[in-house]
Amino acid sequence: MTVWPVTESHEDDSLVSAARDGDRAAFGRLYARHARMVHGILLARVPPREVDDLVQEVFLSALRQLHGLRDISRFGAWLGTITRNRANDYFRKSIPEANCTEPVSENQAETRATNHATEQEAAVILGVVRALPEAYREPLILRLVEGMTGPEIAERTGLTHGSVRVNLYRGMQMLREKLAETARGAS
Amino acid sequence: MKDDYLWDGSGEPDPEVQKLETALGRYRHNQPALAFDPVAEIRPMKRRWSLFSLRWSYPFGAVAAVVLLAAAVFLVLRSRPTGNAGPPWDVARLEGAPRIGRHSLGEKSGLGKLGIGQTLVTDSSSRATITLDETGRVEVDADSRLRLITNGPGRKRLSLERGTIHATIWAPPGEFVVDTPSAVAVDLGCVYTLHVDDSGAGLLRTTMGWVGFKLNGRESFIPAGAICQTRPKIGPGTPYFEDATAAFRGALSKFDFASSTPGERTALLGIILADARKSDALTLWHLLSRVSDADRPGVYDRLAAFAPPPVGVTREGILGLDRSMLDAWWTSLGFGDIYLWRTYERDWSQRPPNAK
Repeated sequence: MTVWPVTESHEDDSLVSAARDGDRAAFGRLYARHARMVHGILLARVPPREVDDLVQEVFLSALRQLHGLRDISRFGAWLGTITRNRANDYFRKSIPEANCTEPVSENQAETRATNHATEQEAAVILGVVRALPEAYREPLILRLVEGMTGPEIAERTGLTHGSVRVNLYRGMQMLREKLAETARGAS
Repeated sequence: MKDDYLWDGSGEPDPEVQKLETALGRYRHNQPALAFDPVAEIRPMKRRWSLFSLRWSYPFGAVAAVVLLAAAVFLVLRSRPTGNAGPPWDVARLEGAPRIGRHSLGEKSGLGKLGIGQTLVTDSSSRATITLDETGRVEVDADSRLRLITNGPGRKRLSLERGTIHATIWAPPGEFVVDTPSAVAVDLGCVYTLHVDDSGAGLLRTTMGWVGFKLNGRESFIPAGAICQTRPKIGPGTPYFEDATAAFRGALSKFDFASSTPGERTALLGIILADARKSDALTLWHLLSRVSDADRPGVYDRLAAFAPPPVGVTREGILGLDRSMLDAWWTSLGFGDIYLWRTYERDWSQRPPNAK
């Protein structure tokens, strides 16, 4: 697991400033620092097979809109909002509107065509996580899939430590219950 | 502690969490970055010019300086916020013959353009969409009137005078604003539907993300799954989730919009508090700043029972309507980061809304 030093958060400001002036390497570093958050937010909402392409689209969109970011210290929260909007747009264009309120459910979760038992298990677990309430599934995916720590999730998304902590614990508790139900159903 | 392991990976490892990390790790991000060079050309690096490093003659330099000065003055004057700097919105006909001004869009018309001050009108048999690539897409239902007010960079403002729109916005939060006769809707990253009837009363329903609703200092935040009504001269009511009980919704509507005595309002509040569920923390948080001082402790206690205030937020502070504490509690509820609203609201609220 990667633990980000606190001082790294301040580097974002200078990287954003440099990127706004056209420094491509700086934007590349912003990508390296925030790609897992973007990936996780998308994975919580859209089918896994679509996530990689959407990650790139989100960063391209962010690059184009970077000059409109007023508070560079909130780059992470701003990027997170762009990501969620992109996920919303994916469903607006891809499925009937009636299904938009619940874009992801256990049944919709993609089960990869494979005979490998561990991969199937992973697909089932991911499906259960994605069926949790939105407030829980995002921090859980950032923690369990992307390997981010709670403090890092808070820093990257702009949420408070308390909010992330509560959602992680409550989400984990609900995930345990759902997985137990799933196991009982399977047996 | 095992909880510490879930939080930051420290402490005694939790085997269940470790197992989940191992299983789900296969989905972890591992894509290299795109080559951003081509798109970076959209905003190229600043070039450092030095006039005097060029071997110009002084007369030529003087003429050039005058021309540059005139051009600079022209550009500065031109760049003053006129609200008219952006390209027109593309209008596509979906059904019937929607009108932009005097021009109707028929089956063979192709895309229309909606410019500043122009109004898109649909009758009972027509529908249309308006799109701006950098901002989003708005579907306009039948019997609607929608006017473009502002179209500057980072600031798009429409006025829904009547009818229904469905907005899908991908612009950064706070950049897309819709005036109605009874409130101003500010996109905070979302998909929503907004309806205005002939009396000017409105209804906003959020499908994804959240929306800020404001008029004359009265604020409502509407997250996904919630709705909020507005009334002319009153502004936005208290938002609530659609699956709240009928008694809860009925009492809330009367509390917000009916002419009631203080005693009647207290009685209505009693119904609201009694019927509140955990998810109605959304409504209770809004009520904190809308009830009388005498009724506020009851609302605090009910909300705190459902969603304890975060560290640093005190009962005394909330009862005193401390803005930062109210904001902190809101953010802890998980409906959206209040920062987005406070940042962008500060800017656009300096201009008077076009609400009647």
